[in-house]
Formats: sequence, C-alpha cells, structure tokens
Amino acid sequence: MDILITGLITGSMLALLAIGFSLIFGVARIINIAHTAFYMVAAYGIFYFSIRLGLNPILSMLISVAFVTLIGVLVYKFIIDPIREHEGAVLIATMTLAMFLQEVILQLFTGDFRSIDFMIGGYFTVAGYKIFYQQLLTFGVVLIMLLAIWFLLMKTRLGLAIRSMAEDREVANLMGMNESRLAMITLAISVALAGFTGAVIGPLMVLNPHMWMEPLIIMMAVVVLGGLGSIKGSFIAAFILGFTEALVVFLVPTGAFLKGPVALIIMILVLLMRPEGLFGVAFEEER
Amino acid sequence: MKKCTLGWRMLLVACIVMAFSLPAWAAKTIKIGVIGPMQSLEGRDHWAGATMAADEINAAGGVKVGNEKMQIVLIKADSNEDKNITDASNAMERLMTKDKVDFVVGGFRTEAVFPMQDIAMDYKKIFIGCGAATDALCDRVGTDYKRYKYYFRGTPFKSSYLAKTSIMHLLACAAVIKKELNAPIKVALVAEKLAWTEGMVKLIQGYVPKLGMELVGTWQPSANATDVTAELSAIQKSGANIIFTVFSGMVGITFARQAGEFKIPALQVGINVESQKDGFWEATKGMGNYVFTMNTYVQGVEQNELTKPFMDGYKKRFKGTPTYTADTYASIKYNLVPAIEAVGSLDSDKLVAFMEAREYLVPSGKVKYEKNKDGVYTHDLTWGPGYLTSVGCQWQDGKLVGVWPNNWMPDPKNYPNLKITYKGMVPIKLPPWMKKQ
Amino acid sequence: MGLVIFYVKKLFKIFRNEVLVLPSRVVVGLFFIVLLGLPLVTQDPYFIRIIILTSIFAIFAASWDLLSGFTGQMNFGHALFFGVGAYGSAMLNIHFNIPPWATIPMGAIVAVLAGLIVGIPCLRLKHTYLALTTLAFPIILLGIIIALPDISGGELGMTGLKRITESLLGNYYLHVGVFLVLAVIMWEITDSNTGIIFHAIREDELAVKASGINTVFYKLLAFCLSGFFAGIAGGLYAHYMRIAGPSTLGVDQSFTVVIYAIFGGAATIYGPIAAVFILFPLLEVFRLWPEYRMMLFAAVVLVILLYMPEGLIHWIRDKIEKECPRCKIRNIATRKTCRICTANLD
Repeated sequence: MDILITGLITGSMLALLAIGFSLIFGVARIINIAHTAFYMVAAYGIFYFSIRLGLNPILSMLISVAFVTLIGVLVYKFIIDPIREHEGAVLIATMTLAMFLQEVILQLFTGDFRSIDFMIGGYFTVAGYKIFYQQLLTFGVVLIMLLAIWFLLMKTRLGLAIRSMAEDREVANLMGMNESRLAMITLAISVALAGFTGAVIGPLMVLNPHMWMEPLIIMMAVVVLGGLGSIKGSFIAAFILGFTEALVVFLVPTGAFLKGPVALIIMILVLLMRPEGLFGVAFEEER
Repeated sequence: MKKCTLGWRMLLVACIVMAFSLPAWAAKTIKIGVIGPMQSLEGRDHWAGATMAADEINAAGGVKVGNEKMQIVLIKADSNEDKNITDASNAMERLMTKDKVDFVVGGFRTEAVFPMQDIAMDYKKIFIGCGAATDALCDRVGTDYKRYKYYFRGTPFKSSYLAKTSIMHLLACAAVIKKELNAPIKVALVAEKLAWTEGMVKLIQGYVPKLGMELVGTWQPSANATDVTAELSAIQKSGANIIFTVFSGMVGITFARQAGEFKIPALQVGINVESQKDGFWEATKGMGNYVFTMNTYVQGVEQNELTKPFMDGYKKRFKGTPTYTADTYASIKYNLVPAIEAVGSLDSDKLVAFMEAREYLVPSGKVKYEKNKDGVYTHDLTWGPGYLTSVGCQWQDGKLVGVWPNNWMPDPKNYPNLKITYKGMVPIKLPPWMKKQ
Repeated sequence: MGLVIFYVKKLFKIFRNEVLVLPSRVVVGLFFIVLLGLPLVTQDPYFIRIIILTSIFAIFAASWDLLSGFTGQMNFGHALFFGVGAYGSAMLNIHFNIPPWATIPMGAIVAVLAGLIVGIPCLRLKHTYLALTTLAFPIILLGIIIALPDISGGELGMTGLKRITESLLGNYYLHVGVFLVLAVIMWEITDSNTGIIFHAIREDELAVKASGINTVFYKLLAFCLSGFFAGIAGGLYAHYMRIAGPSTLGVDQSFTVVIYAIFGGAATIYGPIAAVFILFPLLEVFRLWPEYRMMLFAAVVLVILLYMPEGLIHWIRDKIEKECPRCKIRNIATRKTCRICTANLD
C-alpha cells in the first residue's frame, strides 16, 4: 500500500515533467536541458508572488506559469530559433541557459533553502499511511493535465499538426506547416507544463537554485525508457521508475539514498533489451 | 646619450625596487584572507564574523606588532566550493600568491578544504579552518607535523566528538520522555548517507541498546532528498518516540517539515545543520517546531562572558544569530591577534609554536589544542566540560532556545558534584501530539 | 656536415612551405612556443596553476571530441572516465602505495575498461538515446562510491595523494608537456585512417558498414581511446589537486566538457582545446565580479554561440582561410588563387 501510494505520486510528478520534455523533443528534436530549470523558475515564481508579495497562492501560480511560458517563448525566439540548424549548438545553448537561470535565481533569492505553503494543508490517513492533501492535489492536477494534453493532441487541429510534425518533419513541412512557429508553440506548451509541475509540486519540495539537477536526470531516464517522443511511453515509464524508487526506499531502508542509481540501472537494463525504449519509434531515416 | 640611458635605467630600477618594496613600507597592514562559499549562508557568515573582528580591532587602533600598530585588511575569496572544487583551490592559490595574504580563515566543504589546506601548507601560511569537521583534516597535522603544522581547527570540534555530544543530548531527551510519558524509549535512527555520518551511525547503533533503549531501525536517505514520506510512515509504524537525526543537507528541512506536517509522535534529536539557521522556521513553514539540534550559538545562551558581546554585536550589525562559521571572528580576534601581539612578528613558525600551546576563551567556550597519542599537536579542538561542549537547542514556537547543558553531569561516577548549566537554559518541551497517544 | 646542412635546409623549407602558408598552422606553432616558453616570462604560481588546470581540462575536452565529435556517439557522461581515472589512480596510490607516475596510466587503463563497460551496452543505442543513457553511468558510480565509504572515502574523497613533483616548473612542464603530447597524439589519430572511419561513422554509419568496415570495433575503439585520454586527465587532476573526490563525477563536469567541446567546434580536437584555453581562464578573470561569475560565463557562451553556432574555431578559421573549390586545400584568406593548383579562389 505504502509503495503504491508513494510510487503513484512520484510517478505522476515525473510523468508531467517527462511529457513536456518528450513533446518538444518529438516535434523539434530539441533536447531541452533547461526543461527542469523552467520548473525551478516557476517554483521560485510562486515563492516570490505568494510569500514576498503576499498574493493568493492560486493567482501566483497562474502568474508564474504564465511568466515561465513567456520566458520560454522569448528564449525560443532569440536563442534557439537562430541556431536551430546546429544540433550541438542548441544543446549547449539549453545547458548554458539552465546554468544562467540557476545563477539568476541564486542572485535574486540567494542560495538559502526556501519553502512554499501547501495549497491545502493537512493530511489524511489511508490504511495507516499518511498522505498530504497536497500530494493528492498533485496527483489530481497531474491527471487533469494529462487529460488536457491528450485532448489537445488528439482532438484539436494544433494537436494534429504537432503529431504530424513529430511523425515526419519534412513531409509536414512540405504540407505547408510552419515548422518554426509550430516548434515555438510546442516549446511554449512544454515549458508551461514544466512550470505547472513546479507550481504543483513546489510546496512539497525545498527550493534551492540547484533543484533542477536531480529531477533532470530522472526525467531524462523516464523519457529514454519510455521511448523518445512517445507520450504514452513517458507516462508509463514515469510510473515504472516512480515505483522502483518507492520499492527501494521501502525494501532497503538503509539504501534509500540509492534510489536514483537503481532507477537508472533499470533504465539501462530495459534499453539493453529494447534500444528504442518501451514505446519508442526508431528514427531510422534521420541520419 | 649613453648617460641618459643609464639614468633612465637607474630610474627604472629605482621604480621597480620601490614597486616591490611597496608592500614593505606600506606594511602597516596585516592581510587576512577569508575564503568560503560566499553565495551561501556559510560563506556569508565567514565574512560577517571576520569583518566584525577586523573592524573592532582596527577601531581600537590595530594590532601591535613589535613597536608598530598594524591595521587588519581582509580579502574576500569566493571559493564556490559547494559547486566546484577546482574553483575553490584556485581561489586559495590566488589568495596566497596574488593577494599575498598573511593568514587565511574559512573553508567549509571537506572535499574542498583538503586541497585548500595543501595549498596553504605549500606556502607555509597559517590557515584556520572554520567549517569542516572531518577528523582527518587535523589527524594529518599529527602525522606530518612539519608540513601541516600551519593548519588549525577554528570551529567546529571534530566529528567524532559530535557523536559523543549527541549521545548526551539523546540521554537528556530520553530522561524528559521517561518523566513525562513514562514510556520505554524507542529510537529510530535517520542519518543522511554520507561518509561523515558513517562513524556516528555505527557508534549510535552500538550504544543505544547499552543505554537501555530500543533501536527500532536505521534509515539512510540521500542528503538532498526532497521526499521522506516513505521513511516517515515506516518510522511511525515502528513506534519510535525518539528520532535520532544526523543531517547536514537539505534533507534536514524536508524531514523536519514533513514530520511536523504528519505530526509524527516522536521527538527529533541529534544534528540537523539546517535547523541551526534562523531561516529554518520559515523554510519548514513552522513545522520544524520541537526539533532539537546541536548548535554553537543560540540567542540568550551564554557559554561565557564573551558570548553576549559577540552575539549582540552580530545581531546589531547583521540582524540575526551567527552560525558556527561566523567563528572566523573568534579565530581572528582571540587566536591570531593576541598571538601576533605576544610574538611580535608575523612569522608563521614562531606564531604556530605560540598558538598551539595557548589556552584561551572564545565566545563558544575555551580552546585548548589536542595532541595525538604520540604527543604531537594535532591542532584539533578539545571537547569537554570547561572547554567546548556546544549547545543543545530546540525550536520552541518560532524561537531557537538553549536546552542543554542544563544540570548536565559529565562524569557522575568520579565527580558526582560536577553539574554544568550554561546561562539562559530552558527545559526541553515535548511535542503536544506525543502526549495524546 | 653537409648532411646536417641539408636536413636543416629541408626543415626550413618544410617550415616555410607547410607552416607559414596557413595562419592556423602559425597560430598552432605560436601556441606551442608560448606555452613552452611561458615560464621564462612569468613564474607567478597562480598563473602557472591556471595553465596547468587548463591543460588538464583541455585533454579532457579533446578526449570528448575524439569520441563524440568524431564518431557522433554523443556522450553526456564523460565525467565517468575522468572520475574513474581520478579514483583509479588515487586508489592504487593509496591502497597499494604505487607512485603516481605509474598510477596515472594505470588509472587510465581502468578508465579504458570503463569505456568498454559503457561502450558495449551502448552499441545498440543511437543518437539521443545514447546521450541520455551515458548520463546515467557516472551517477550510478557516484551511488556506489557513496555506498562504500571505507574504500572510496565517500563524499569526502580520497585524500593524501602525492604530486608527481613538488617543484613549480616541474609541475608546469609535466602537465603542459603531457597535454601537448596527448593533443598531438589525438590529432594524429583523427588524421589517420582510423580518424577518417570515425568521421564516416558519424556521417553515415550504414554506408560505413556497407563498405565492409566493422563499425562495432571502431565504435568501441573510440570509447576506449577516449576513455584512456580522459582517464589520464582525471589521474593528473587527482594528483595535482591531491584529492580524488565525488565532484570529479558530477553532472556539471559532464556538462561543462560538452560545452567546452561544442563551443570550440566539434570534430576538430583543437577546437575544444582552444575553447578550454579561452573559457577556463575567462572564469578566473570573472573573479573581478565574484557574484556574477557564472552568470557572465553562461551569458558569454550563449552570446558567442548565437553568432558562431558552428563553434568558435570553425568561425575563425572560415574568416582567415579559404578552401580551394577544386583541390580542397586550405589557403590563407588573402590569396586570390590556390597555392597548389592555382585555381581561382573566389
């Protein structure tokens, strides 16, 4: 039971992060290292608006998600778009961007650890296991977000465009789709997702300017495990790794610190059997 | 023409000589390097303590060296050590050879202090470490005295004494629980998985049963864990009423906050470095109430007559309570400067010989340097009643108050009358949700 | 006697016709001379230290380029080799009392083994999968190191290492010398047949396979070679710093090397080296504004990248040199006609 709940919550956080990352990779082939940095900025945004300025938590959440999305769009327009043709350059641009955001946060908020209030305080007990309402909320929001994303991708014209772009970039371009604009929109969605994740799980975290590093690695593991560009894969892989972490903590209490490495080993083992991840499509044509 | 060239040359030589001797004739200053992670609280306190000491000494006319008065000049070096060890060592090298400091204080993360120590020793400059607790830093002084004798531990005392002190704290808390709840003591040990906790974990695992308590389990989360709900549920199921924590990292906040939110019916005692900081209450959203930790400075607690002036001075200037890295203050004011004045020189070897034999008061107690079993000075700090003991403190409703030593009997067998109480102690409080159960 | 004069003349001729004709070769020559002659000008220990560390990281960055730049096997976990080299030589030095001049190559051999361990499972992986999977390896190793503090020292690292030599100049010439030699070796490798195959694997693995070349062998070779050089860099670093700590395996370490290499210009060997020689000292210059150091660093990299997305060195090289459209020989940009085939350059 404990394992189930912890696994579900960790898994849903990972899923939200990983889907955003996967989305932008699928459409624009951008490995956005700064993805979790946006998540950090959003969490700090809430801290700033709700605690420093004393705004309502929901309002500050919306503002900071909007703010982060805006940064994402600006970054795409002025940094990524001009160098889109050069894969390596885009890669290290996102790396340095993550470093840059970390330093800005460090200067604005210092390196001290910060916390945000729970949106709903308190906890309830299931089978002797305590769960924060905030965790339940996180889980709920994640499900809603996932549904929304599914709706967006499957039922709207934009979703169709995104999917076709992910399927075959060249043909989609030939069909008259504006690749660059679509990439920008996707990046905005992806960054907004990262922002939402930061906003929802921020209260469960301790904020510090290096908080983007750890989830970044697990998130990448999720994306690779699920298969690059596959939303369904990311979703399932997130829960696999979430449960793995929970299992490690519960079964080997003195080895709880090893939960990250164990999850990574599982990822490598799966990849050995299925090099394109669980649900990945091999991009054979792209050389 | 030739004469002219000669003249020019002589002028040039004169200029060069003057430039080189500039430090010599302007040597009314003593340069002290302050090295630390200036972007975080530890480094800021390194700097805060040092500036306080320097300003106080300079305002009083400076340091008397032989017949002249010298002013102290501090040089700030950001080691960036929590992120980059290479950076830290470069910063130290810079202090030594570019800024040409006479002494260095600071250092925090052990992995960075080792290379920094080596560099300072290369240049035979006195380096007072104010942050890293690893035993090996001073063990090296004992084993290779000739090379490492310029290193002194300024604060805190070494980590093997930390365990000793924490056991005293555990006993103090256990006594309160026994008295108020009349329940058998069950201890859950939660230590972040890092090498410095290794010795403590083993010691406590061995010691707790001997004290008539039950050890219900050991958990080792990562130092940066952001979710310990799994561990907490397991701890609650185990029925523990004392949680013995050994935390230096972020997990200290996470653990305290989540345990507080869940109202886990157990008292947290031990070491939680994050809870020593003023920002802890805010960072845990008040959920860190009743957390007990070892500490160096607590508002309102006076180890000796030097504590209050220091704390007040710090509070007035920096609005808060100093953490232990602010002991750069004591290192400069009570260690370096008196030694320089007594020796009358800035020569490292002469100073070391004088400094290591000294016993002196600092705001956190009394310093006496240890020798190893071969009788060689290790420049490590002596722990014990009358010397440095640290303070046990507890968060009680938004305030960090001192609770230990309060009628502490360090050695009931040999000295039944020796009871130690620092000024400003209050009783330990148990979380109210412990009593209901 | 005549023979000596003959060879001197020949050498001079080679020098004039092969080195002086291209600015890039002149720059490389100057770089060697400046680096080797530097202690004649200044013996400032701080400066010397920066150059030594720069040299070590230059080896590291170039070794990344050898693997990822040339064969296109994106490695996001290159710190693994660096850390294995550092820990390997540190453990041999401390636990078995082997002197550093022997442990550093041995550490590098251990790093080669690490290269095999990583390389073999990763053979099946491609592109981004490979990149993101390699990121995991140093983190797993870091977990192991933290788990076994008795052997590895845990987060405190392995301390008490001895430097190879204590003298300032000795250290300088040792590190700079090793760096120059290794750089030349790496460059020779990439210039040889092996290098061409590496390059071809990046461009079109299928075509290389179809030409009857065992790409698996060459890919593993790239992993091993790269691991070897990175391992030497790690060993040198550990002994120079006198500590092998977990930070050598950090994610930052892996990311920084990627930044260095791509910033300088991938698949050139000298690009990453130039980048390290620019960026690492730049970080020290930024100590003038200690609070904004890393921010300035990141900003500088970003801005330069916007103007030179192919990498700094490619950009500069294209400005000062032109490639002959007919015979593909490089010429100085001021020339109107190719120096070999006299074809018109514009």
